[in-house]
Amino acid sequence: MKRVLVVTITALIIFVLLDIFLMNGQAHNGFSWSHLAGFFSLFGFLGCLALIAVAKLLGHYWLQRDEDHYDNDDDNE
Amino acid sequence: MPFLDYELVLCRVDKLSLAFGYVFVIMGFLGGVYGFHLKDTLQQVSALLYVGSSLGVVFAGDLFTLLVFWEIMAVSSLFLIWARRTPEARRAGFRYLIVHALGGSALMVGILWHIGETGSLIFNHFDGGIASSLILVSFALNAAVPPFNGWLPDSYPESTVTGSVFLSAFTTKVAVYALARGFSGLELLMWSGAIMAVYGVVFAFLANDGRRLLAYHIISQVGYMVCGVGIGTAVAVNGATAHAFAHILYKGLLFMGMGTVLYITGRNKLTELGGLIRSAPLVLILFMVGALSISGVPLFSGFVSKSMVIHAAELEHLGVIVLLLNLASVGTFLSIGLKLPYFTWFSTDRGLKPKRTPLGMYLGMALTAMICIAIGVYPTLLYNLLPFAVHYQPYTASHLMETMQLLIFAGLAFWLVIRKMHVEATITLDTDWVYRRPSRLTYRVFSVTLCRFLDAVEGLSLRLVHFSVKLGANPPGFLAETIRHAGHVFFSNRKPAFEPSDFSPDRYRISLGVMVLVVLLCLVILLAWDILF
Repeated sequence: MKRVLVVTITALIIFVLLDIFLMNGQAHNGFSWSHLAGFFSLFGFLGCLALIAVAKLLGHYWLQRDEDHYDNDDDNE
Repeated sequence: MPFLDYELVLCRVDKLSLAFGYVFVIMGFLGGVYGFHLKDTLQQVSALLYVGSSLGVVFAGDLFTLLVFWEIMAVSSLFLIWARRTPEARRAGFRYLIVHALGGSALMVGILWHIGETGSLIFNHFDGGIASSLILVSFALNAAVPPFNGWLPDSYPESTVTGSVFLSAFTTKVAVYALARGFSGLELLMWSGAIMAVYGVVFAFLANDGRRLLAYHIISQVGYMVCGVGIGTAVAVNGATAHAFAHILYKGLLFMGMGTVLYITGRNKLTELGGLIRSAPLVLILFMVGALSISGVPLFSGFVSKSMVIHAAELEHLGVIVLLLNLASVGTFLSIGLKLPYFTWFSTDRGLKPKRTPLGMYLGMALTAMICIAIGVYPTLLYNLLPFAVHYQPYTASHLMETMQLLIFAGLAFWLVIRKMHVEATITLDTDWVYRRPSRLTYRVFSVTLCRFLDAVEGLSLRLVHFSVKLGANPPGFLAETIRHAGHVFFSNRKPAFEPSDFSPDRYRISLGVMVLVVLLCLVILLAWDILF
């Protein structure tokens, strides 16, 4: 648990530093986020959690059904 | 070539069709190697027909040739589904057939309409109007653009092990080619593509069947291509073509991997798999090459193709599109790079005793994996085949950093929630609900009710026939009987006698007195008429 956190946080710090010093001003065609250091780390992390949450919520409240959901309908053949 | 009053171009080769042609041939070969152990003529014949007709569509220069090959493609792919020979495959195949028959009909009507408007059969960029909308719908249906996507995750996972490898490669990418040829630069496609990329990822996350998960990621990946076609600039169409090329190979590899798991264990559901790392480690390694490619990890093929589409969106300053496509990348890595291998090869060890993997399967996967890595390491290989000259360099510091940040932190998020995450043995509703759930109602309306109606009509006509026979055989007798029956109903209780069914002249001969009476009556009427008027 600890090791993974240490590694990713170190990576985050390195990326942010690189973003600030190396990429300064020359990255990505001037989107509003291109000036934010480490934007894509945040985007990756939150995007991943958001996708899981949205998928699970959609699934539970609407889309997921038992495996035999369609079986009765198919018996008509 | 002249045909009736029109000019047909059976074969047109340019850089766009050639790029698709190359990868179709390569994938046809690799699929053949993978399925070398098969002793099933049905699958072999339909797979080859399928590859051939896909090439036919791609090299067709006119719409008539395109339509013919389009339909052959639909039918031959159908037999790859039916070749599984299970009841589920049979049903899914019928649904697949209905959807594609509808799509083909829309295409045909569109083409006929187009000829009526323009008088030309040549397949070029369409200019809008009803004809091209119909053609667009049929192309979008084959590309599985929502809401026309239900058929894909419904049917592909029901196909055979080898069949789904072929299916994953051709139908949707042929549609991408057709869209790139006919509708590049259509803004609607750009947005549907970007939404489709995320849509596929969300639905894939809910899938329990491994190959259904992969099928949803076809939708997601084709979303990038459709989006590139929709942006329509040279870079974007290049990106769509490059991504189709790379995608066909790594998606084929992924289907080969999950297909092998199905072949050796007989199982394909994540809830029934787990712990295969000890018995099938080599399959995992080859599968991971495909998984890293689709996730767009540097040095693998997805990295150099997917980023071209995103780059094209950046050049056009389409911020929302860029974010949507990046979000889909994150989700792809999550599902295919992490979740699928985790639940198949690690997770709970179910003590499965897999059977031996045929050599051809390994060879097919290894060759495909090699090409995936080759394209990732040396992208010029791929870039030389693209329709427009490429001035794009994927391996820049900023792009590498962006990708690594996305992937590492998506990985972190997955790692944090994995303990809480469990796959569920459920199926997911999708747009195929539209024609699956109301099937009972449809059956009632079109079969039961229709049958009853026809029954009633039949009964009625039979009675009509009886009536006319009776009337024709003995008209005066029938008349007498009817009058007598009417009299019985209204006046008396005595049951009237029936008349003989045959006519006899003596029985109904009218007496002389009655004749004279009738003649006299006529005279009286004439006389009265004369006096009064």
